[in-house]
Amino acid sequence: MILYEPIMIPSGMKDSLGRPSGSLLYIALAVLISAFTAAVLLLPYDTVYIQEETYLLWFLVVMSVCFAVFLLGMTANALLWMRGKGLAGTPEARLLLLVSRAVRTVFSRRLPGLLRTFLKEAMYTSKLRTLSRSRWLAHLLILGGFAAMLVLDVVVTICLDVFHWSPMIDSDGWAKLLMRDLAFDIAGLMMLVGLCMAIVRRLVLRPRQLATELADVASLSFLLIIVVGGFVLEGMGIDGAIPGHESENAYSFVGLAFSYVTPDSAGQYYDEAWLLHGVLSALFVAYIPFSKLFHMIAAPITITLEGLATREAGRR
Amino acid sequence: MKRLDISKLDVAALLGTDACVRCGECTLTCPTGGEAQDVELITPRGKLLRMRDFVKRQYGLRARLFGPKGIEDDELEEFSRRVYECTICGQCKVVCPAGLDTIGFWENMREFLVANDLGPLPPHQQIVKSIENYDNPWMQPRTQRPGWSKRLGKEVVIGDSLKERHEVLYFVGCTAAYDPNIRAMAEYTARVLARAGVDFGTLGNDEGCCGSTMMRTGLSDSTKGMVLRNIERFEKAAPALIVTSCAGCYKTIRQDYPKYGKLPAPVRHITEFVGDLIESGKLVPEARVDRTVTFHDPCHLGRHNGLYDQPRSILEAIPGLRIVEMERNRDDARCCGAGGGVKTAFPELANDISELRVADAESVGCEVLCTSCPFCYQSLKSAIASSGSEMEMVDLMELLWQSLQAPR
Ligand code: HEM
Ligand code: SF4
Ligand code: SF4
Repeated sequence: MILYEPIMIPSGMKDSLGRPSGSLLYIALAVLISAFTAAVLLLPYDTVYIQEETYLLWFLVVMSVCFAVFLLGMTANALLWMRGKGLAGTPEARLLLLVSRAVRTVFSRRLPGLLRTFLKEAMYTSKLRTLSRSRWLAHLLILGGFAAMLVLDVVVTICLDVFHWSPMIDSDGWAKLLMRDLAFDIAGLMMLVGLCMAIVRRLVLRPRQLATELADVASLSFLLIIVVGGFVLEGMGIDGAIPGHESENAYSFVGLAFSYVTPDSAGQYYDEAWLLHGVLSALFVAYIPFSKLFHMIAAPITITLEGLATREAGRR
Repeated sequence: MKRLDISKLDVAALLGTDACVRCGECTLTCPTGGEAQDVELITPRGKLLRMRDFVKRQYGLRARLFGPKGIEDDELEEFSRRVYECTICGQCKVVCPAGLDTIGFWENMREFLVANDLGPLPPHQQIVKSIENYDNPWMQPRTQRPGWSKRLGKEVVIGDSLKERHEVLYFVGCTAAYDPNIRAMAEYTARVLARAGVDFGTLGNDEGCCGSTMMRTGLSDSTKGMVLRNIERFEKAAPALIVTSCAGCYKTIRQDYPKYGKLPAPVRHITEFVGDLIESGKLVPEARVDRTVTFHDPCHLGRHNGLYDQPRSILEAIPGLRIVEMERNRDDARCCGAGGGVKTAFPELANDISELRVADAESVGCEVLCTSCPFCYQSLKSAIASSGSEMEMVDLMELLWQSLQAPR
């Protein structure tokens, strides 16, 4: 397809460009998985909510395995794309070449256009907005909440376990209140509202273009279970005055609301619930490459490439 | 068990099967899957997900671990038929929120079918034979190609661009050259060009089929020779500009030829070229045409090439003409149903879709349905007849010609 060629898939991509051996890909994957596992297992977790160490270890092991499955699944999908026409070499070698091309494209004069297209068309999903405002809003809430949650997780973990930053650790520290309590709750609430809108649309409003199948129900249900589970867990923590949740502050407003619904005795099972929520979240990560949710990787690529191609064709 | 060869599928198409979010926006406006038949498998979502299923069954992780699964012949045949029922109108590309270049996908999917002996369909094969033997899809001898210009008599002299150089090379295209019902398109194009004093010529007998039909049915690999032959003739003619009146030839020469070789001159559609002639005052439509007209955007002009304003600017220049827009216009225009080889293989389906478009035009109360593509012209004209409409089908150059006559 000509539109894609100028950007990422040059038709003249020949072996002569220097074909990296396919095994390099697997070495890179092994390094990435080992690095992630090492980081996950070696962090001190001094300030984690869960008290039961064996549960924590279980979670960390499951998370590491799930991350490996996620990466391998993604790679398997991408290798399948590489069986298509236009490129020389084994699928592994093609994938490496293409990744290096993509990196070069990102760090080229195309960067500003690429970034603008990515933010406007892939993240803000501008086309979806023109099709249906409510559909767009529901999705933006899910996407935005998910992305915010991901960023928060990384930032908070680094602040806590690498820098031992007290405003993030102290139970009334400003960073703790604003990020670990408020921001997480807002991100979760965004997802919850978005998911409820999507579910109502799918099951109640049922517009003609929707065909609800297992793939759709599974993705929505999985997300919903994790998000609601997270809030129930927070409510249980507040019920049981778990360290970090003892202050009953209004910053964790959604968790607080859930704590009114769950019985106070629920706090006793906090550690078990934490493990369940953790394992489910890890399984969700592993599920992404094999589900409809893989679009969160594939769609931004197609949207950005198409947007960039259109933009560049228009300028020519 | 058939093992599908996926090496003909574009990387982008394979990626697209994973990027489709099953949103179904494309199913609402797909003229053939959604509107005329309500068959999920023809819709973009249906085709992409079925393709994904086939590919996963034979090349996915499970297939690699436990061996590929077979696909029944019936299933493959049904898939092939459904893929060929798509008119490649590009409506799905306009709405797809996952940014899929479906136009490219569908053409590529047909190449994949051909590589796996699943396409093209028997009616397409007849046309292919004709192109291979006669250099046109209509089984007409090469010597008849310039026959369209007979009615012009001595009024307009058509230059031979292979004998002497002319500024503009008019690429007539097989349909306007041979189909007696459509020859008027070429005729009025020539009249308009001559009226503007354009120095133009054609390739006469030596014009070869542009290859569009072959490319749209998945036979791109077999078109290379034809394309290169035409490019060679273009080089010999050495014009400053190539002009086509056929939207299909325009798309093919503009978008596909550069993949095979360098074009010696830029190519423009007649609506772009004539629009400029009017703007620069070289053509002045003076006679009033007191009629109500609506313009049907050919897919190959509009969605495939972004030419929406040019034909409208010509209509706006005609005095007296009342222009009304159909509810679905520009990039939302409903396809006429003929493209992508559908009219050849599924004439009834094509006519059903054309009748929907005629109804669109009827509903805005126009007398004249105007377009600028021989295929749209042909299909809409027969759908006007089959649906008992009173509207008149007119080519844009013919309408313009009416206004270029001395005012009465
Ligand atoms: C990063 C770029 C992303 C793009 C371009 C994108 C695009 C889309 C589009 C166009 C739809 C169809 C609209 C709809 O069904 O309402 C969709 C559906 C969906 N997306 Fe995304 N998405 C992205 C990321 C994400 C992320 C990060 C998540 C969160 C986990 C997500 C979760 C969903 C879900 C659950 C649906 C189905 C909604 C339903 O069933 O009604 N998406 N996506
Ligand atoms: S190109 Fe047109 S006919 Fe083909 S799938 Fe898309 S909308 Fe339907
Ligand atoms: S509009 Fe695009 S993403 Fe949505 S179902 Fe159709 S092809 Fe898939």
